[in-house]
Amino acid sequence: MEPLISARNIKKHFDVGEGILKAVDGLSFDIYPGETFGLVGESGCGKSTAGRTIIRLYDPTDGELFFNGKNVYDLSRREMQEVRKDFQMIFQDPYASLNPRMTVEELVSEPLDIHHAYKNHKDRKDKVIELLELVGLNEEHAMRFPHEFSGGQRQRIGIARALALNPKFIVADEPISALDVSIQAQVVNLLKDLQDQFGLTYMFIAHDLSMVRYISDRVGVMYLGHMMELAPSEELYENPLHPYTKALLSAIPIPDPEIQRSRKRIMLEGDVPSPINPKPGCRFVDRCAQATDICRKETPVFEEKRPNHFAACHNVK
Amino acid sequence: MEKLLEVKNLSVSFKTFFGEVEAVRNINFHVGKSETVAIVGESGCGKSVTANSIMQLLPMPPAFFKSGEIIFNGENLLKKTNKEMQSIRGNEISMVFQDPMTSLNPTMKIGKQIVEGLVKHRKLSSSEAKEKAIEMLNLVAVPQPEKRVNQYPHEFSGGMRQRVMIALAMVSNPRLLIADEPTTALDVTVQAQILELMKEIQKKLDMSIILITHDLGVVAEMSDRVIVMYAGQILEEGTSDEIFTDPKHPYTKKLLSSVPRLDMSRNEPLFSIEGTPPDLYIPPKGCSFYDRCDNAMKICKDNMPDFDRHNNTHRSRCWLNHSMAQSTEGSEV
Repeated sequence: MEPLISARNIKKHFDVGEGILKAVDGLSFDIYPGETFGLVGESGCGKSTAGRTIIRLYDPTDGELFFNGKNVYDLSRREMQEVRKDFQMIFQDPYASLNPRMTVEELVSEPLDIHHAYKNHKDRKDKVIELLELVGLNEEHAMRFPHEFSGGQRQRIGIARALALNPKFIVADEPISALDVSIQAQVVNLLKDLQDQFGLTYMFIAHDLSMVRYISDRVGVMYLGHMMELAPSEELYENPLHPYTKALLSAIPIPDPEIQRSRKRIMLEGDVPSPINPKPGCRFVDRCAQATDICRKETPVFEEKRPNHFAACHNVK
Repeated sequence: MEKLLEVKNLSVSFKTFFGEVEAVRNINFHVGKSETVAIVGESGCGKSVTANSIMQLLPMPPAFFKSGEIIFNGENLLKKTNKEMQSIRGNEISMVFQDPMTSLNPTMKIGKQIVEGLVKHRKLSSSEAKEKAIEMLNLVAVPQPEKRVNQYPHEFSGGMRQRVMIALAMVSNPRLLIADEPTTALDVTVQAQILELMKEIQKKLDMSIILITHDLGVVAEMSDRVIVMYAGQILEEGTSDEIFTDPKHPYTKKLLSSVPRLDMSRNEPLFSIEGTPPDLYIPPKGCSFYDRCDNAMKICKDNMPDFDRHNNTHRSRCWLNHSMAQSTEGSEV
């Protein structure tokens, strides 16, 4: 199958005065049509920056991103506007990402206005109502303001906005982290239904590994701007290759006291180091129990270690 | 087991412009010595109000106690004066808050913050105080404590700040620690470190913990007993094993099946609880879970059931426990 999105060596660096912050430092991966690609990692690992760079909310420092065979990073402003219709984003915080002074109708129709995607006033209104119904809201919600809604409902409004232009690809940046568990399941189920209905492709960014495993077909694990491991979801969780992935998985508590008591945990010492002027070598070396000399000198290559299973580690053969 | 804390018929309300919000409605529970009790529930269910009531940290007004007693060590905390409470707070009962970024004073050195309470209560000399601060940082495994005591909060990472918060709470050897979402703001690998640390310190100092969280994984790892709260009421209470392997209340069952687990297949459906919790301005007359319950019956609408005891430790309040209710075995909950 042809990938929908091909990222090649994407980099996003920020000059922060005291040095160069390498938030994303050379990511390469493919996303296939209709799949959900999960991206996980701890805070500060660069997963949100990666998401934003991929839909070109940030201009990349380096790299290429192919969408339908075209390099998106080479497009002019005008050409980019066209492509934007196919790329949408759902943001983490449903409290901060909706303008409090706009009604739901205005919020949902904003993308339609920008791209002149309706014939007349009635067509616009019909489209808004159709979108609201799609995400489980209804016509009477259209005239209300965001503060009148709960977190879960607000996230639905955000999803309706993202769907307005019939996109092909949606980056969902921690779309459920701000919601209660019972509401999380509602939103995840909605995202899955919409995917089946419209053949959407998702990039699902999250730090909740159990939820990512549940929703994603393939999962990538990031650490300090580098992709450490990438594999089909079941494979990654059952046979993790990278020591970081192993530690990350063993840190998740399982809601079953019996299993939890008998589990052996790999404890990581310390915190994630600073991404400002990172040292050469493997990014994980300071916290890795299996680190050897070569890990300190050379950055391991991200390569296919098993069929469809990629990892960047000197110790994995 | 000896009871350290007992909460009896506690009701807490808030007076607002629109009317009274009944945040906690007539709850009863106890915490035994060196036991960990988890209170779980969604936001707005009253778990933090319960914790803050024990510490009496609620702003009054608008908050007020409608009824109840909080018996700690044989004495009713609600009868204490402000001054008496001050000597209990941070001394016998300590609290760890959710957000280590905002609950430390940014303009004060870490070491000074840790011993601030002790210096006040026990009149330590400055060299003694510093020694104590270093000892506490050692206890919570902060590397290079001699150097760290002289640093400010912004020089610490999130996980390290949470360790400082724990050190701060432990400094006077409290008998009860209330941890309100202590690891919610942290990454999983750091969360694992903090939970391990809390368990270790609990063993060393022989204290009780009330753990408030919405993360059922953390509950399974830490707690001896679990209290499930919803809309200001307790719906179910039991040992950790009872709650996770044999939940009785439909809400508990749904809560457990709405989180994906690492050890479950991706093809298993994820249950969601439709709707949202009720508004506590006008709490429902009957069962508060009525609107969202699949097994709701006529009687549930207007009548809140009493607790049924399944055994010595396990109780729940649901009309399905009643002998006249139809069996729900085999139905999908």
